[in-house]
Formats: sequence, structure tokens, C-alpha cells
Amino acid sequence: MSSPFSINGGAAVAMVGKDCVAIACDLRLGLQSLTVSNNFPKIFQYGDVFLGLTGLATDVSTVSDLFRYKVNMYRLREERDIAPSTFAHLVSSSLYEKRFGPYFVSPVVAGLDAKTGKPFICGFDSIGCIDFAKDFIVSGTATEQLFGMCESLWEPDMTPDQLFETISQALLNAVDRDALSGWGAHVYIIEKDKVTKRLLKGRQD
Amino acid sequence: MADRYSFSLTTFSPSCLYLGPFNTLRSGKLVQIEYALNAVNQGVTALGIKATNGIVLATEKKSSSPLADPTSLSKISLITPNIGMVYSGMGPDYRVLVDRARKVSHTGYKRVYNEYPPTRILVQDVARVMQEATQSGGVRPYGVSLLIAGWDEGILPEEEEEKEKEAQGGESEEKKPSGKTGGILKGGPMLYQVDPSGSYFPWKATAIGKSATTAKTFLEKRYTEGLELEDAVHIALLTLKETIEGEMSGDTIEIGIVGPPAHHLLGVEGVEGAKGPRFRKLTPQEIEDYLTNL
Amino acid sequence: MPGFDFSNYNRNAALHARGVPLPKATSTGTTIVGCIFDGGVVIAADTRATSGPIVADKNCEKLHYISSNIWCAGAGTAADTEFTTALISSQLELHSLSTGRKPRVVTCMTLLKQHLFKYQGHIGAYLVVAGVDPTGTHLFTVHAHGSTDKLPYVTMGSGSLAAMSVFETQWTPKLTEADAVELCSQAIQAGIFNDLGSGSNVDVAVITKEKTVLKRGYVKPNERGQKLKSYIFPKGTTAVLNEKIIRKEDLGNYVSVHELSTTEDDAGDKMEVDA
Repeated sequence: MSSPFSINGGAAVAMVGKDCVAIACDLRLGLQSLTVSNNFPKIFQYGDVFLGLTGLATDVSTVSDLFRYKVNMYRLREERDIAPSTFAHLVSSSLYEKRFGPYFVSPVVAGLDAKTGKPFICGFDSIGCIDFAKDFIVSGTATEQLFGMCESLWEPDMTPDQLFETISQALLNAVDRDALSGWGAHVYIIEKDKVTKRLLKGRQD
Repeated sequence: MADRYSFSLTTFSPSCLYLGPFNTLRSGKLVQIEYALNAVNQGVTALGIKATNGIVLATEKKSSSPLADPTSLSKISLITPNIGMVYSGMGPDYRVLVDRARKVSHTGYKRVYNEYPPTRILVQDVARVMQEATQSGGVRPYGVSLLIAGWDEGILPEEEEEKEKEAQGGESEEKKPSGKTGGILKGGPMLYQVDPSGSYFPWKATAIGKSATTAKTFLEKRYTEGLELEDAVHIALLTLKETIEGEMSGDTIEIGIVGPPAHHLLGVEGVEGAKGPRFRKLTPQEIEDYLTNL
Repeated sequence: MPGFDFSNYNRNAALHARGVPLPKATSTGTTIVGCIFDGGVVIAADTRATSGPIVADKNCEKLHYISSNIWCAGAGTAADTEFTTALISSQLELHSLSTGRKPRVVTCMTLLKQHLFKYQGHIGAYLVVAGVDPTGTHLFTVHAHGSTDKLPYVTMGSGSLAAMSVFETQWTPKLTEADAVELCSQAIQAGIFNDLGSGSNVDVAVITKEKTVLKRGYVKPNERGQKLKSYIFPKGTTAVLNEKIIRKEDLGNYVSVHELSTTEDDAGDKMEVDA
């Protein structure tokens, strides 16, 4: 049997721009080579923080619900929104708690710090080790393709429009070379006072 | 009679049996908590004053005998690098609460979010511990009131004001964005009192213990808005002077301050984002210096 | 953290029994070293994190804070080194607060080995523990199964052989601080260039009685060159089927916000309506 990370397929990527961040995912849900749905988004919004989840679809749902609960409880207790870096450590400790029976997910976090406005992105392995990156984070079955695309396309201080084109092209071209991902994409561009969500046209094969 | 106190239980007093102060009939009281408050009101006075840029906690270090060695005695404690605590009442109970507060700030917060809890969260955690002792079998309430002082990261009051001004001055919009609706933690100095019942109150300045009433009356007269930390330390010492029995010196007074990050106490260089602790205790020498300038 | 949650364990074990491979964790292939000098101790590490053959992080931090006077270099499973050192750091801080003394390196090493031995090697943390305390300067290695060593110079991780070759040829007793830093840096660079699991930069921490100085990116022998051409696409390259813009100021259309009268006293307790 194949790895639980590649049963359902899927890809996610986050990037830093100038005073903005972007996070994007594909929309495929599959069962090995059979595509079941072309509308399975893998990005979840908790207040001002965004979480991308790839991996085993059942765990993607479970983990996204778990963090919705945890972030809601945080807001009720603390009377404030959770900061992206605080959320990242919450994800990390929650995943490590299951060190010896992990969820089969590779999370990606993106957001702007509410106080300083500084862009924040990070990624995790399935047991909660944080990868703090200053440029981009990739995850999913198209990881290798995404690394190649991002490493060549990304450059520092991109405007929101440039960031959108870059992350979209990186994702679309990466998933076109991955049989398990694709079938359209969602892209979020996060700025200080607005969030733009776009649905991309992608190959349906 | 010896077995009358062989159990411990906090119970509502039946209205028909409990004779309140001045022989009035009282009901709905938890007398065990009142006993705990009595212990607090016999305790050495402790006080706290909030300034714009920090907080001061102060108390008297009273030794019962001239033979006692006060150097190892400590009544003001660091809980997290930005939060400190002082008490009035029973010393042993206080030390248990200090341990619990430090522990819960790690297990319930730092090990989850990789940051120390904001003051209010810590206060609520300590208050929960104290409340549980009023509703559990086999235990008695904690015989202490606490003053908890801390500094929270977040939007500072003056920054918020600036933001509001900016929003109002910039455009004559009908909707003005307000910092109060941003859902961001308001930062700056925080001062709370926690009682044996588990209830807690935020204060600008307050006192607990034997001479709390006298001290509070004095503080009401001396406290002004927009106080600086240096002024607050000064007022704290003047207030103590009103209530203190022995002489005031660096060895008989204890002062803890929440102020600017004390970089010299950090011990590391080159760590990104590392800040020194804001809470620290003043040395006897520093207290002496304040006293000579009084 | 002492309490792990095994609720997914049986599911994952059942999948594994049917031939599903285990998830690959980020590992720090890693070269880490430590070296005592006259008056203190230096530890150093490379900054590459790998996931199988993929370089997952080109500039990760492998020098972990325990207390201001004790630091740890970690190799092995990245999450395990991160969380084990954070847990012991937390325990030492509480211990130090209740005893009123500075934490000691042997205490740290003992807590680490007892924790790791308890988990019989399943927590894959391989650590170099170094520090200066009131009893002197100390340098230890701790292996995932709980065994420890005390030596004047140590190396660990997949690049340990390359690094040790530098120590064995160049180490001398009674080094100065500058010489020790340089020797550790050379040892890490031997790992960076000769071991595939190690790469990128050299991080160094110098611990003395007075203070600890962390030198992040002490040597950066693998800086990426400036791109000669920009690959930014013109606006409109990507076909968009649907666009939705959520502005913070428009949120008022969905949520009604009532400003409560402000009296100074209750400012802290007021309920907040979130934007």
C-alpha cells in the first residue's frame, strides 16, 4: 500500500512578499489514481491566520476542525486573535503530542503579525518540527516540483500583484507535473487591510 | 472537643445559626473563607502601584526576633520574567501558590505556545487554584491575598490613543476604526489582587493586609494619573512609612518592580528577539538609595 | 509533553502492518561539535535540515537554549531535539526558580539522559550539552538511548567523522577562546563540505562565566548568488475564474460593532468585538 501522504494527493504552498503573504492549494481529492472531487480546498482560515493542510484527507479534516476548536477557545479565553507565530507553536506542540501516533498531515501557516504587520510563514513535518522560512514553504505530493518552481521564481520584496502571479504559476506548473494534485487551485493574498481569495483555472486531467 | 476540627469542609452557614458582626443574623456566608480573610487582615501590609511605564510592589520584611536572620527571607517572588507577586497572610500558603503559579505558567502555557502567559491569564489560573480550595473536601482555603503585577506585550495605551488620533485626524469618515475592536491584546502594566475566595480585581493602586485601609486612604490621596515608575516607588515608600512599625531600611523593606526590560539580567547576546526580564527585585542598596532621597 | 497522546497509535500501527510506510520526519543530518577552552566552552552546528534526500530548511537553528549559561546542539529527529531541549529547559527554569540557584550542566545532562532512557531510544535526540556553572565548565554528549560522555572535544551527527578528523589533527590542550571558535568552525565546515546531510552555514555559541554569545551565521560559505534575471510574470498571466476581496473595513457590513462608554476602570474587562 502507498504512503498515507500520497493516497489522496494534494499540494500547498506559502510565500512571503513585501508587507504581504500568500498561501495557495490545489483542489483535488483522490483515492489513489481515481479522482473523487475537484473541490476539496486545503486552506483554512482562523481569524487572521491561515493554515494549509496536505496529506491524508481524513486527517486534514480532523486536524482543521481541531485547530478551529483550539483557536476559538483561545479567543474566548484571551479576548484577542491568535498571532501567527503563537498559532505556529500551538500547531507544533499539538502535533508533537502525537509523536508516537501522528496525524498524516504536513501543515503550512501564513499570516501577518497584527501588531508589527510583519509577514510570517512556516511549515511543519507530521510530528511538529517547525521550518521557519524567510522565503517560501511547500507541502504535499508535489513537494519536489514546488521546491523547484519556488526556488527559481521567488524573489524578495514582491508586491501583492507580483506575489499572486508568482505563487499561482509556481503552484499550477508544479501540480501539472504531479498526477495526484491539481484540478484547480485557491490562492489567498493577505495584506494589512484586505484578503483577496482567487479561484484559478487549472487542468482537469 | 478535640475531634471538632478533625475534618475540613467549607460550607454555607445556615442562616439561623450564624451570628454576624454586631450580632446581626447573617446567611449565605462561607465562614471558612471569612477565617481566611481574617488571616489576611492580620498579615503584614503589602501594596502595589501601577505607573504608566511600570508597576511597583512593596512590603515590610518583619522579623519576630532580633536573632532572626532576614537575609534568606523573601516575600516578593518572580513568577515569569514579566510577572511578579507579593502576599499578605500566611507565608507557607503563599509559597505553595508561588510554586503552582510558576508551574502552571509553563505546563499550561509556555509548553503550548512557547511564550509566557499574559498577566490576566496567570491571575485566572492562580485564582482557580484558590477557588478549588473553597469547594473541595479535606482542604482549607488559602490564607493569603495576592498582588500580582505584570507587563503584557500588545498595544500600549498611548499607542492606541495615537492610532485613534490618526484615524480621526486623517479623514472625516463616519466609521472610525478603533483599537478596542481589533481583538488585539492591550499591552502595558497590569496589577491584580486575588483573594482567598478566588475572586480577583484589577487596580491602579491598592494595599492588602493589616493596615490596608490606612494605606488605601493614603494612596487615594497620593495617586495621580500619568504616574511614572520612579514616582510610584516614591509613593510606595511613603505609604509603607505610614503603616510600618519598625524602622525603614534596605533590610526591612522589600520592593519588586516591573519596568523596562533589564538587558543586563539576560546573560545572552546575539539571540534574535530576546528581551531581558521586566520584573526584578530591588537590592537592599537600591532601596537604601530611594530611602535617602525620600 | 511528558504525556504523549497515543490515540492514533493503533490506527497507524494497523496501517503499518498492512505495508504502509512510516512518515518521514524532518531530520537534522547534521554536524554538531563542542570544545572546551581556557575559561569556557564553544559549541557549533551547521544549518541544514533534511527530509530524506530533500533539503527541507537551508538555515535552521540547531543550537538550543537551555538556560543563559547552558546550551545544547541537537542532531537526529529535528522535532525530538527541539521538544526535548525545550522540556528540559522548562524543568530547569522551574528548578532554578525554586532553589534560587543557577542551573548546573550535570543537572541538565542527567534530566536529559533520564528522559531519553525512559523512551528507550524512540525519542531520536542526539545532543551535545555545554555550559558554565558555579562548579566549572562542562561538555557532554547525550545519545538517544540515554548514554552520556564527558570529553574535552566532541562531535555528533552524520558529519561527526569529518568533524572529528579536524579535532584529532588540530586540537591542543588549553586553547584560547578565539582558537576554540576557529577550530569548531573548521570542524563544522569539514562536515558541511564532506557530509551530504550537513550544509549551509556555521552557527557558534561561546559560553563563558560572564555570558553566552550566540553567533548565528558565524561563517556563511554557501551564500546564494544574485539572480541575473527576474522571472516575475506580467499581471494577468494567470487565468482567474473567481475573485473575492474581503476588506477589513467592509467587515462592518457583516458584524455590528457597538462602542461601549469608556470609563477608565473597566477598560481592561470590557468585552471586545473583533474585527
